Amino acid sequence: MIEIIIDGKKIEVAEGTTILDAARKNGIPIPTLCHRSTVEPYGACRLCIVDIREGNRTRLVTSCNYPVRKPVEVNTQSEKVRKTRKTLLEMMLSRWPNVNLIKQLAREYGVTSASYTHPLVDYSSNACILCGLCVNACSEIMWEDIIGFAGRGENRRVVMPFEKHYDACVGCSTCANICPTGAIQMTDDPNHPADDKRISRYGARVTDEVALYDIEQCRMREVGTAHLTEIMNDYDLLPTCNYKFGSHDEAGKLHSDVFKNKYLTQGVPDGCWLGCTMACAKVAEHFELKTGPYRGEKVLVDGPEYETVAGCGANMGIFDPEFVLETNFYCDTYGIDTISFGTTMAFVMECYEKGILNKERTGGLELRFGSAEAALEILHQMGTGQGFGVIVGQGIRRLKKIFAEKYNLSQQDIDFMQDIGMEAKGLEYSEYVTKESLAMQGGYGLALKGAQHDEAWLIFMDMVNNQIPTFQDKAEALHYFPMFRTWFGLVGLCKLPWNDVEPVDNAETDEPAKVPKHVEGYVNYFSGMTGREIDKKELILMSERVYNFQRVFNFRLGFGTREHDRIPYRSAGPVTDEEYESRAERYDKQLMEKWNYDITGKSTTEKREYLRKSREQDYQSLCDAVYRRRGWDENGVPTIEKMKQLKMDFPEVIAVLEKYYSSYTARSS
Amino acid sequence: MTRISLEDLQKIRERKEQEDKSYKAVLLVCSGTSCSTSGSGNLLTVLRKEISHRKLSQDYRVEPSACIGYCSRGPVMIVQPEGILYEKVKSADIPEIIDCLIAGIPLERLCHKDTTTDNRVPLLKDISFFNRQQFIVMHNKGSAVPAGIEDAIAGGAYQGLAKALMMDKNAVITEIIKSGLRGRGGGGFPTGLKWQSAARSAEEKKEPPYVICNASIIEAEPHLVIEGMAIGAYALGASEGIIYLRREAPQVSARYNKAIQQARESGLLGSNILNTSFSFDIHIRSSAGAFVSGESSALIASLSGLAGEPTAKYIHNSEAGYKGKPTVINNLETWANIPAILERGADWYSSTGKSRKSSPGTKVLTMTGDIVNPGIIEVPLGTTLREIIYDIGEGLADQGQLKAVQTGGPSGGFLPVELLDLPLDYESLSEAGSMIGSGNISVISHKTCIVDTVRYSVSYLKDESCGKCTPCREGLIALSGILNRITSGQGKEGDIELMARIAESMQLASLCALGQTAANPVLSTIRYFRSEYEQHIRDGKCSAGVCKALLYYLINDNCTGCTACARNCPVQAIAGEVKKKHVIDQDKCIKCGVCYEVCKLNAVTVQ
Ligand SMILES: Cc1cc2nc3c(=O)[nH]c(=O)nc-3n(C[C@H](O)[C@H](O)[C@H](O)COP(=O)(O)O)c2cc1C
Ligand code: SF4
Ligand code: SF4
Ligand code: FES
Repeated sequence: MIEIIIDGKKIEVAEGTTILDAARKNGIPIPTLCHRSTVEPYGACRLCIVDIREGNRTRLVTSCNYPVRKPVEVNTQSEKVRKTRKTLLEMMLSRWPNVNLIKQLAREYGVTSASYTHPLVDYSSNACILCGLCVNACSEIMWEDIIGFAGRGENRRVVMPFEKHYDACVGCSTCANICPTGAIQMTDDPNHPADDKRISRYGARVTDEVALYDIEQCRMREVGTAHLTEIMNDYDLLPTCNYKFGSHDEAGKLHSDVFKNKYLTQGVPDGCWLGCTMACAKVAEHFELKTGPYRGEKVLVDGPEYETVAGCGANMGIFDPEFVLETNFYCDTYGIDTISFGTTMAFVMECYEKGILNKERTGGLELRFGSAEAALEILHQMGTGQGFGVIVGQGIRRLKKIFAEKYNLSQQDIDFMQDIGMEAKGLEYSEYVTKESLAMQGGYGLALKGAQHDEAWLIFMDMVNNQIPTFQDKAEALHYFPMFRTWFGLVGLCKLPWNDVEPVDNAETDEPAKVPKHVEGYVNYFSGMTGREIDKKELILMSERVYNFQRVFNFRLGFGTREHDRIPYRSAGPVTDEEYESRAERYDKQLMEKWNYDITGKSTTEKREYLRKSREQDYQSLCDAVYRRRGWDENGVPTIEKMKQLKMDFPEVIAVLEKYYSSYTARSS
Repeated sequence: MTRISLEDLQKIRERKEQEDKSYKAVLLVCSGTSCSTSGSGNLLTVLRKEISHRKLSQDYRVEPSACIGYCSRGPVMIVQPEGILYEKVKSADIPEIIDCLIAGIPLERLCHKDTTTDNRVPLLKDISFFNRQQFIVMHNKGSAVPAGIEDAIAGGAYQGLAKALMMDKNAVITEIIKSGLRGRGGGGFPTGLKWQSAARSAEEKKEPPYVICNASIIEAEPHLVIEGMAIGAYALGASEGIIYLRREAPQVSARYNKAIQQARESGLLGSNILNTSFSFDIHIRSSAGAFVSGESSALIASLSGLAGEPTAKYIHNSEAGYKGKPTVINNLETWANIPAILERGADWYSSTGKSRKSSPGTKVLTMTGDIVNPGIIEVPLGTTLREIIYDIGEGLADQGQLKAVQTGGPSGGFLPVELLDLPLDYESLSEAGSMIGSGNISVISHKTCIVDTVRYSVSYLKDESCGKCTPCREGLIALSGILNRITSGQGKEGDIELMARIAESMQLASLCALGQTAANPVLSTIRYFRSEYEQHIRDGKCSAGVCKALLYYLINDNCTGCTACARNCPVQAIAGEVKKKHVIDQDKCIKCGVCYEVCKLNAVTVQ
C-alpha cells in the first residue's frame, strides 16, 4: 500500500491504482469524458487532468491512466487544472454546442457559450465527440475491430473499414450502448423488438459485468469452460477412470493454463456469434495431428471445453493435452459427441480391466485406462465403421446387452456392468462425479433427455455449500432450476451469462444461487422483446408447460416412468471396495452419523453394501419428494390436476398419461 | 565474404592506409544531391578521363564523396591529403586543376573567397563554413563514400564496438552516462540513463530488451548507426534491433539494407559478432507513417501493427515497450554518436560542445530559409545562432535583413534578432520558448510576415496532429482559424489572449509532444513579436507586405496615364483616360501586383 494525498486528504492505495480510481473511491469528483471502467484508459479527452507533486517535481497528468507507484500529492482543483479544463471545455463547446454532456460540464466551469466560431461546428445534440469509447469497446470488450478511427486531426472520425457497412458487424450494440452522446444508433432491428432500449439497458449491464469481472470469476473469455478442470479436480469432482475417483495427481497436465499457454495461440475468443461478450469458445491453431486420415496435417481444433478435457482425458485415465485435442478434432470430424465417446470409452476400459473384455474381443487392442493410442484407434474405427469400434460406437446401454449376450457373462459381471455403465435413459453421463451429492444424482437421473447436467447443476449448493439440506430443499431446487434452465431453450438464449459471471454484489442477495439480478434481466428481455409484461413466476410457468409436455413425450416413447429415472449405482456411491477405500473416512463417518451404523469390526465390503442400501433408499425418497413438488404421482406421471392447472389437459395428452396412472400403485401394493 | 575478427579490424585499417599512401593525392568530387544537379557527375567522368589520358592513374585516385554540405558553392571538389577545396568547378577547369596538382600549388581562382577580407582561402579547414563545424556524426565529410565494408572500417567503423566488446556491459552504460550524451530526437533525455533503466527492467523481469533506431532524414553513414546499435545491444543484453524508417526514400532503405547485409556477411551482425559470444541482428521496418508516428509510443504502436498514433501511458518504453518488453528507442543521430564515445572515451566526449556542461557533443542541423548557404551542417552544441547564421550560413540571401529564426522545425519557437547570441543547447532554447527539436534552423528575413509564417506552421501542425486528444486537435483547429482571420484582416481585439490561452492548454494538457510543442510558434511570437499581431488586428497593416488582404495598391501623382496598368490588370479594376491619372477600384482588385510590376514610373505603390 502506498500513501498518497489527494486534495489534502491522506489515502492508502494499492500500487498501480489510478489517481482517478483512488479519488472516486474517496468521493473526490474528477470530470471525465473518454473513461469507462470497462475499457482501458484511453487518455484522449484530457479533462481528467490533475496537478501532481512527486518529490519536488510538479506537473499535470491525466488521472484516468496515471498509476500510483510512489507517494504523490495530488491537487484535483488547482488554478492551473481548472483553467486548463475550462479552455478544453470552451473548445469542445465551440465545436459541439448542443451536446448535453459537454454543455453540462462546461457550465460547471463557467463556460456557457462558444468563444469563437469553430470551422467544424456541429449543432446536433448527438454529435460524435471523438471520445473513442465505441472504438475501444468494440476492440476490448468484443475483441473485434469493426469500427475504428480514420483521418488525422480535424478529419478524425469513427468509421467501419473503407467507410462502408461492414458485414462482420453483427449489431451487438456495444458501441451504441457505450456512446455518451447517442452518436451511434442501431438502425437495424430484424426481430422488431417491442422496446429495444429496455433490452439494451439490461444487456449493457451484462456486457459491463463480463468486461469487468469475468477475469476474476470464471475466466470464460480467457480459457472458456476449461477453467473447470482444475476446480473439479480440487473439489474431488473430476471424473477419473470411469468416475471411480474425483481427482488425480496428474490432473495438472490438463490445467486450462496448459491449453492457454501452449495451444490457444490466437489468444482471442471465438464466440458462437461475433457479438458475444463472453465468447467462451476457443481455438487451438496449427495443431499437428499424429493419427488417422489427416495424420501430419496442421489443423485448427476447437476449444477444448471442460467436458472434452474431462471425458477425453481424465475419465479415460489419460492426462495428455495433445490426446485431448486430437480426440476433439476427430470427434468433430466424424460427427461424434466427445462426452458420449469419453464416457463410453471409460466404460469399455473398465470392462477390459475387469476381464469382461480382452484382446481377442477387442480385435487386438489393449484397452486399459491410460491407453491413448488404443483409444484413438477405436475412434477411427468408429468413424470409419470398422472393427471393434462398430460395437463401441453403439453406446453404453447397448454395450451392456451386447457384452452380456455375446460373451455369455456371469450375472455378477452383468450386475457390475449395470453399476458402472454410466448412462441414464440411454444417454451417457456428462463429466461430473455425483457420488456425494444426492441432489446432483437427481439432477442427472431426473433429467428428461437422460444423464445431462444442463437441467440442474447442484453439486456446489448441495455438497460444498450445504444450502439445500432436506429432501424438500433438494426437491425445490430440482423443480426451480430445471424449469429456469428450460426457459433458455424456449427463448433461444445461452445459459452461460446467467451465472458464469455474476454481479459483484450477488452474494449479498437473498437467493444468490438464482442470481436474482440476472433473473430480473431475463424478465425484462422477454418483455422488451415481446411487449408482454411478465414476472419471474410466469417465466417459470412457461417452462413448466413445456417441461411437462416433454415428460408426456417420454411416456409416449416408453421412457417416462419411475424405473427410467433410475441411475447406475456408481453415480450414487462406491461400487468397489477400492472406491470405498479411496474415501473411507467420508463414508465411515456418514455410516456412523447419518445411519447410526456401528462400523467396528466391519469389513469394507460389509460397510460398502450397507452404504449402498441406504443411498439407494435416499435416491428413491428424493424421487418421491421431487415428483410431489413437480405435481407428479409416485410413478412420475403428471397428475390430471397438474395438467389442468397448466391448462394442458388436452384429451390426446391425457390419453397418453392415463395408461400409467395406476400401474405403479398397483405393482407396489 | 570472410568473417572479420577483432584482430582483423586493425589489420584492415593499416592495409588501407598503406594503399592510400601510394597515391600522391586523392581527388574527391562531391556527389551530394545538390552538386550532382549542378553537374558533378559529368565532372567526375571528365576528371577520370583526363587523369588516365595523362597516364597519372598511378599517382592520383579519383572518388565521389558524400555531400559536404557546402551546396551553394557546388559543384565542389576536394584535394586530399592537403584539404584544398575548389568551388563551382566546371569541366573546362579540369586541365588547369591537374596542372596545379602536378605543380603542387592550389588553383587560386577556384578557391573560396572570404567575404570580409576578399582573400582567397585554399584550405577547407580555414574556411569559416567548415571551421565552425565539428564532425562526429558526419565524420566522413570530405572523404570518399565507402564502397564496401573494408572502406568503412578504414574510415574508423566498428572500432568503438571492438572496444565495447572487451568491456563489461555495465561499464559501457556507465561510459555513456559519463559522456553526457542526450537524445537527439528532440526530447534531449540523457541516453545513458535511458539505457540504464531499460537494462534494470530487463534484468528484473528477466526479459530480453529491444533496441530501436528512430530514423529521420540525416546524413549518417549506415555502418555508424549499425555499430552504435550493436554497442547498445551489447550493453543492454539485447539480441534484436529494429531500424524504423518513416516515409524515407527507397534509396535510404536500400542503403541501410545493403550495409546490414555487408555487416552480416562479415560477422559484424548475426551470431558471434567479431568472433565473440555476442550475437545481435537488425531488421528494417519501413512505414508510410505520418510525422506523428515518429513519436515513441506511436512508433511502438505502428511496429505492433496498430495505427501509428501516440498512446497515453505513464509507463516508459524502457520498462514496457515493443511487445511489452523493455525497449530503448533512440534517434538515429543519437545512435551515430555512440561509436565515437566508445572509441575516444567519455571524457573526450563530455569536453566537446561549447556552452553548458549539460549539452556536450554536436548537433546536425538543417539550415533553410533566406540564407546564403542552406544545407546540412554539424556544429558543437553551444554554438551561437549568430555563428550559425553568419559564419556558417554566410548571412542572409538577397541582401535580406534578419528578422527571426525558427529553430526545431514547424513546432519550434521564433526567436528575435536580440537573441542571436543565444547558444544552441537544450536549456537555452527551451527557456527562450523554442527547442532543438528536429534540428531545423529556419532563417526568416524582413520580407517575411511573422503572423503569416506562424499561420503556415500551425496549419502544417494541424494537418499532422493525429487528432486523438482534445487540446492538440481542437487547439490547432482553433489557432489555425484565428490566424487565418487575422491574416485576412478580420482579427479582433482579444484574439491574442484567446490564442495564448488555447496554446497554454495545449502545452499543459496534450497527450504527446506534438501537441505540447505545437504551442511554441504562437506563444513565442506573442512573446517576441506581439506588435506585429497588434498591427494586423488594430491597424489592418502587414508591414512585410505579405498578407494580401491587408494590402492596397494605390496610384500616385507620378502617373502619366500611359494605360499600361489598366491594360494588364486581369480583372479590369483600373480606370482612367489616356494621359490622365488612373485609379484602382479596391473592391475589384485581387492584389495580384501586376500593375506594380508594369508601371515604369513608380506610380503604383503598396500600402
Ligand atoms: C510528433 C513527433 C515526431 C517525432 N519524430 C521523431 C523522428 O522522426 N525521429 C526521432 O528520432 N524521434 C522523433 N520523435 C522523438 C521520439 O518520440 C523520441 O523522443 C526519440 O526517438 C527518442 O530518442 P532520443 O532519446 O535518442 O532522442 C518525435 C516526437 C514527436 C512528438
Ligand atoms: S461515436 Fe460516441 S462513443 Fe464513439 S467516439 Fe463518437 S462520441 Fe465517442
Ligand atoms: S498531442 Fe496531437 S499528435 Fe499527440 S496524441 Fe494528441 S492529438 Fe495526437
Ligand atoms: S478521462 Fe482521462 S483523458 Fe479522458
